[in-house]
Amino acid sequence: MRLMKHEDSHLTDQQLLLDVEGQLSTHDGKLVRSHLDACWKCRTRRQEIDQAIADFVRVYQREFEGKLPPAEGPRALLRAQMAQLSAVAPIARSRWLAPSRRIDWVLAAAACGLAALGLYLVRAAVTGQGRPHRQTVIVSIPDSRLTPGAALLASRQTVCAQANTKNKAVPVALQREVFQEYGISGAEPQAYEVDYLVTPALGGADDIRNLWPHSYSATAWNARVKDALEDRLREMVCDGRLDLTEAQREIAGDWIAAYKKYFHTDHPLEEHWKQRAP
Amino acid sequence: MASRITGWTVLPVSPVPRELDHGDARGRPEEEVVALFDQFRDPLLRYLSSLGIQFADGEEVIQEVFLSLFQHLRHGKARDNLRGWLFRVAHNLALKRRYRTLRESASLGKTGAEELAMAPGPSPEEQVVNSQTQQRLQAVVQALPEQDRRCLSLRAEGLRYREIAEILDMSLGAVSLSLGRSLARIARAAER
Repeated sequence: MRLMKHEDSHLTDQQLLLDVEGQLSTHDGKLVRSHLDACWKCRTRRQEIDQAIADFVRVYQREFEGKLPPAEGPRALLRAQMAQLSAVAPIARSRWLAPSRRIDWVLAAAACGLAALGLYLVRAAVTGQGRPHRQTVIVSIPDSRLTPGAALLASRQTVCAQANTKNKAVPVALQREVFQEYGISGAEPQAYEVDYLVTPALGGADDIRNLWPHSYSATAWNARVKDALEDRLREMVCDGRLDLTEAQREIAGDWIAAYKKYFHTDHPLEEHWKQRAP
Repeated sequence: MASRITGWTVLPVSPVPRELDHGDARGRPEEEVVALFDQFRDPLLRYLSSLGIQFADGEEVIQEVFLSLFQHLRHGKARDNLRGWLFRVAHNLALKRRYRTLRESASLGKTGAEELAMAPGPSPEEQVVNSQTQQRLQAVVQALPEQDRRCLSLRAEGLRYREIAEILDMSLGAVSLSLGRSLARIARAAER
């Protein structure tokens, strides 16, 4: 960068800005500072530029203060869409898929379709458009910040002594809170099970931190698939083949991974995900 | 809620799912993408808004950006300067969307002005609360050429000159000239 040609010429705004921003080379920085030491006019101008930055930052911050919509809904949707993409187009493809380019295109088209559907849904969630048509946001994994899981301090004997292993109905008000928390307050209730992350049949608590809206049919990893895992884990716990706390941790940590582990499969079994919604 | 009921405990959920213990050392792309979403969603939404994209459209663009990032990471592509990558992709998608909106407006006989309106300005109440200087500064910023406003917004979001140059496809010199020009205008407005 060419600095002052003559001793008595002043620094340009651009040179002063680069100095304020620490963008000058060591050599140019030294020249600028030595000029500033001697020149009141340039020093004042430098302060004005510094002040202009502060003014702009204030205007910029004020423009958005408290106006950004909450991130929970979009985050949950992003998670759901990533899970869908992973299920539809896994990276490590099985051998029968590899040679076929046509299948690649089908997968890509399906992925694009899912993305488009997701984008439509997030728009509806933000703008409220689409009502009175109800939304069906696809959710197959809980947001761990909203739903970390909660369990009662109960022993294996207490859990296994329960005669009724069906999940008890979640009160409507609590269901509404869950939908709201996930940013899908206008959701079609029949499309979801407001599901316990740790099922009460494994000591799960009736707490909002243990509840999330799980899609029934929109995804392969749907609520019925998880129900099958819950039955399997309870059976293993009560048979003494699995520790209760371990079962609770596995289902709360990553229920899909637990399903794969206990059913020895990478994909949900057809007999599970095709069951009818109650 | 659990704290009100004795005998309940919240199970800790490990930050990296068990499944990954023997998987990719960097962790699942999903988790990395969500962490980046948490870090950059607000800055991106603000930047898109400064491009004239309404929040609802901005959310859609951001979903598209992070799904692209997910695919990018899943395929093991370059991961240097993901912040710059996110802003660049968001910028390009937003411009495409604006272009599409403009074309649709033209075909519907709209002027397009309402489609490209900036994020809603302050309400009358807010205007009273804002000082006159603030209002003047706001007006100056709104009146800046679009590219200058983009440079300012990106800089305000903490991007470096080199990153801004890449996102907006400008030279480094053009970035510093643009910022210098805008700040000089703001300084003049504050003096009055």
